[in-house]
Amino acid sequence: MHEATTLRTLSDPGRAGPASRLSRLAPVHWLALAFLAVALGFAAVAWATGNGFYLRLATEALIFAGLAMSVDLLLGYTGLLSLGQALYFGLGAYVSALVLRDVSPSFWLAMGAALLSGVLAGLIGGVIANRVKGVYFALITFGLAQVAAKSVYNTHALGASDGLIGIPQIQVGFGPFSLDTADPLSFFLLVLALTVAAYAGLAYLMDAPFGRTLAAIRANERRVPFLGFNAWRYKLAVYVLAACVAALAGALYPMLRGFVSPELMFFETSGNAVITVIVGGVGTLVGPVVGSLLLTALRSVVGSWTEHHLIVVGVIFMLSVIFLRKGLVGALLARLSRRNGQGRSTP
Amino acid sequence: MMASPLKTAAAGARGACALGVHGLSVNFGGLQAVAGVGFEAAAGRITSVIGPNGAGKSTLFNLISGAIRPTGGRVTLDGADVTGYSPDRLLAAGLARSFQITNLFFELPVLENLRIAAQVLERPWHALRPVGHSRRALSKAEALLERFGLSAKAGELAGNLSHGEQRRLEIAVALAAEPRVLLLDEPTQGMSHGDTADTGALIRSLAGDLTVLLIEHDIGLVMSLSDHVVVMAQGRKIAEGPPAAVRADPAVQAAYFGHG
Repeated sequence: MHEATTLRTLSDPGRAGPASRLSRLAPVHWLALAFLAVALGFAAVAWATGNGFYLRLATEALIFAGLAMSVDLLLGYTGLLSLGQALYFGLGAYVSALVLRDVSPSFWLAMGAALLSGVLAGLIGGVIANRVKGVYFALITFGLAQVAAKSVYNTHALGASDGLIGIPQIQVGFGPFSLDTADPLSFFLLVLALTVAAYAGLAYLMDAPFGRTLAAIRANERRVPFLGFNAWRYKLAVYVLAACVAALAGALYPMLRGFVSPELMFFETSGNAVITVIVGGVGTLVGPVVGSLLLTALRSVVGSWTEHHLIVVGVIFMLSVIFLRKGLVGALLARLSRRNGQGRSTP
Repeated sequence: MMASPLKTAAAGARGACALGVHGLSVNFGGLQAVAGVGFEAAAGRITSVIGPNGAGKSTLFNLISGAIRPTGGRVTLDGADVTGYSPDRLLAAGLARSFQITNLFFELPVLENLRIAAQVLERPWHALRPVGHSRRALSKAEALLERFGLSAKAGELAGNLSHGEQRRLEIAVALAAEPRVLLLDEPTQGMSHGDTADTGALIRSLAGDLTVLLIEHDIGLVMSLSDHVVVMAQGRKIAEGPPAAVRADPAVQAAYFGHG
């Protein structure tokens, strides 16, 4: 009983009453479940109406949600602004495309190779970027991504400015079962399952002592070494983790679109991921997913009226920074906790 | 990932040298902030460092605790050379410190501040398991809440505590890793008279299990609390000894008490 009290106070200081014993799941996880229900409902409707276009669009939104989650690990949990996360997303996409096209049309091999590339590139990038803090960290991540993007853009073997085309559609095998990436519903459900798995795994890790030490680094980095932690190692670890998440998300992109291009590594991709996180809700992991779906839908709708859809996205970004400081999910959580009669915010 | 759990048993017998400072020096662009300071802090005792403002006391603490690197001299912990160790390595070796300017995780709950500080008591892989598995860290955090009278504030954000409560939490956080040597940098800074007396009694109760090195401005508190006093002025040690002897020392009176 004693331990249960401790746990609850740690995870949710605002509610220590006996009523909260009934709902052990944090409100943010309920939001994630609600989101999952909506996504499955959407899939059912799209399947029933035979609408492949919207399924593919939603799949793309989930893929970019993976990139946004990786930005959130750094920005929301550790307080590190990466302006070059597209480097790892693009790396995963290229590695996956090359494996599928030239080595073997194997889903698991492509994902494994992308993961390995994420670890290696994340280690190199992390060692370089974590030499500095604050604005300089942001500038170095930006610079690293620019260097990588321009290198790919000028490398003939990687298709230069055209990128790589003709990536085959593949069968994804799970033991006796398999699904086809060419089928919009199957691939959507696969990417949805991976997104849910990534959310669950990362949310778990961020609530474990590892993630809470990252929160301590965000709150007061200078005190952390005096408590026995090597802050640099923690920052490197989360940087590599974020690189892996971005690379795995990127690896799914050529399976959906059948091509990759250097634009995937450009600043627009990195910048969009940051905007997605801020609009959706920093430090929630659900926020990036919600934000990605919202902005993808918006771009598609507004893009059918005018080619200047970036203006709309920019205005929404500014409005959300000014009026919804914690993003959509943050505002929703605050509203929920207020309804429960709790004035305090959850950590 | 993390430092290995600390040894809780005192390594040396009471009275033996727990913390040795030998000719410690540092230059800040030509300014000799600390110049060849040496003394020994006996195990289980309270050693205080006093001196007028600008004497170099806080810089001395920063040198001992690994916040800045010395340009000369050595620091030993139970005889082992730990000069130039980073703060996290020093903590693993058994040395912790508090800060003069409250240095907490203000946006995290009080209990979480203590839980994070106690996490080094756990095995490294516990960092990847649910928080509830870190039983030792959790019970340590709970015990410190109780001892420092903060149980009612466990869920409060550290930033919402009163100044006195934050000063208490500052000491509690430094104690969470079960260090053998504790450096307290003006623990009563800004406290009321009553709170200062309470804190003095608390520091007294810490000694014995723990070697305490204290910087303190309240001379009455220093004289009543300390077993040994080191006096600094202008970066140098000008005297050391038992409280009564130091108070009577003419050099100390001239440099320190004389300036009232």
